[in-house]
Amino acid sequence: MAEKGFGRVPDVLIVGAGASGAVAAKRLAEEGFDVVCLEQGDWPDYTKARAPYRDYELTSGRDWGWDPNARQSPADYPVDDSESDITALMWNGVGGGTVVFAAHWQRNLPSDFRVRTLDGVADDWPFTYEDLEPYYVRAERDWGVSGLGGDTAFPPGEGPPMPPVPLGRMGRRVAKAHNDLGWHWWPGPNAIATQRYGRLNPCTQRATCLWGCSEGAKASVDRTYWPVAVERGVLLLTGARVKRLLVGSDGLATGALFEDRDGKEHVQRAGVTILACNGIGTPRMLLLSATDGQPDGLANSSGLVGKRLMMHPFGTVVGLFDDDLGSWQGAWGQHIHSLEFYETDASRGFVRGAKWGLQPTGGPLSMTHSYPWGEENAIWGPGFHQQLRKRLGRSAMWGIIAEDLPEETNRVVLDPVKMDGSGIPAARIQYRMSENSRRLMAFHQDRAKESLEAAGAYETVIAPFIRATGWHLLGTAMMGSDPSQSVVDPWGRAHDVPNLYIFDGSTWPTSAGMNPTATIAAVALRGVDHLIAERRSTPTTS
Amino acid sequence: MSRVVFDAGRRAVLAAVGDVLIPNADGMPSASEAGVAMRWLDEVLRLRPDFGPQLAAVLDRIKGADLAAAVERLRAEDPAGFGVLAEVVAGGYFLNPQVRSAIGYPGQESVPIEHEQPADYERDGLIASVIARGPVYRPTP
Repeated sequence: MAEKGFGRVPDVLIVGAGASGAVAAKRLAEEGFDVVCLEQGDWPDYTKARAPYRDYELTSGRDWGWDPNARQSPADYPVDDSESDITALMWNGVGGGTVVFAAHWQRNLPSDFRVRTLDGVADDWPFTYEDLEPYYVRAERDWGVSGLGGDTAFPPGEGPPMPPVPLGRMGRRVAKAHNDLGWHWWPGPNAIATQRYGRLNPCTQRATCLWGCSEGAKASVDRTYWPVAVERGVLLLTGARVKRLLVGSDGLATGALFEDRDGKEHVQRAGVTILACNGIGTPRMLLLSATDGQPDGLANSSGLVGKRLMMHPFGTVVGLFDDDLGSWQGAWGQHIHSLEFYETDASRGFVRGAKWGLQPTGGPLSMTHSYPWGEENAIWGPGFHQQLRKRLGRSAMWGIIAEDLPEETNRVVLDPVKMDGSGIPAARIQYRMSENSRRLMAFHQDRAKESLEAAGAYETVIAPFIRATGWHLLGTAMMGSDPSQSVVDPWGRAHDVPNLYIFDGSTWPTSAGMNPTATIAAVALRGVDHLIAERRSTPTTS
Repeated sequence: MSRVVFDAGRRAVLAAVGDVLIPNADGMPSASEAGVAMRWLDEVLRLRPDFGPQLAAVLDRIKGADLAAAVERLRAEDPAGFGVLAEVVAGGYFLNPQVRSAIGYPGQESVPIEHEQPADYERDGLIASVIARGPVYRPTP
């Protein structure tokens, strides 16, 4: 700290050490930029990743929980979801959501970037799949992605650098069923190492990816990017909670006011500021940073900051099989995926679609939970042991990621009452599932049921709708070319504040029906490459 | 968080309600026979001390009641309380090595990935069927 104290004025300040912040930090450091990152949380404590131990099912929910309102760690801020159909989930710490994500690595499809042109709804993205494809390829090498090139649901091109996770018995059964049905499937792409790869160990198929990977095989950016970035000179300050961004009289960002663990305030100045706080945290920060000149929030002349929140309604369909499928083991992760019903078919009564990922169902304690099994199938009482035998190891489930369309009434606002531990206003989300989303989900659940039945399931369960599925936080600082209709330009630079960038999923014009990390990484890489190339023409305060 | 005491009275209620949730059947021990109200309660609370207050409240509430009816009422009126009770009972049950052995669950084992050349889905033509069906995406217009 002696040479890198708070008085240092770096080229770039990054707020948030999740996926997009990590991509930006590493790339900037590689190009010789001086970078400081402020992260309100801490490094993950993998001594709490208990996969090899008997107690893992009991302790994982507490130590690796996804809901900040339930977790209430010092790094978390409340998110009032009382006016939302879906609860926002996140991990506030180094690695961000990648610490607890399922690592499904899904590129968006060409149609995802042309929703208005192809389907007449929402908006096109300001670039195409082909524009982003080289960044996907680079990101996949950087992260350590496994999978198989040649997926017929995607344009031809280079595939991931590692072979896919095994299909396993359940994957093979469902794959064969899809062949019989003439439906798409492909070995699952995952940000999971299947070989030794850089800093990653090979996966050992303990199926505990969502609760802190004890093996060091899941490509979360706290393991992959941040150690490299720090080695290259990036100063990553943990326990540093940003209270607001600072703006000079010329309207340019000058840095951030933040509070350290002891509650002491500091100013971190920088030439360029990058927000990487997710689709809730980023608009919250912009709204908190209102000035006399920008009273509705920083970079908000369009009025779109916080609006168009998309969170991907999520569905699960489980199948029960006579055979032992070993379904408490395997990557979790996805063994196979299917994009058979991803593209719009107007005859279905809705637009857009969803991606399916085939996943394990967990150990014995998971067999007793109300999700995904449903209250009506409660295991308790005289049938307990029979039900347990039916479920444990003999079940497989499709996870369904449904595209939700952007609506300005679905949004993030500052909470007028609740505050975080530093006295900063909390976030409040207002989100209602649309009729299109409901129809889309019902259709996909029915098809997923047919898929598992064709694979030999003698019984299927469509999981009840639950609110706690908002893993994907998108759309609340939209990118576009028109400053009156978007918050940032096609490279993530704020229209109103030319040395302020946003690289997280906030910038998505539409949500696609895919797990978003692959595209968040590729878009961040594209944006930071552009920032680097344009650096000399970018107005800064230094 | 003040430490909650689980005396013999509370443990007796837990044993009885545990057996409503997990009875002796199909060659398997009931919750109480597996030690859910004794050794495994201690272990569950060591691992999850946060369960203590809510569990105690639930046990005190259903003490002396018809437990089967009380469980149904709890599920309807206090899903969170029922969730803690169920997690303690089933969580403790599945910590018991004899139970784990009887259900054939060794825990989440380390199973290194073996990459076969060619992969199974290539050898048996599974993936060839997908490829033969051709592209299924809409290209950029």
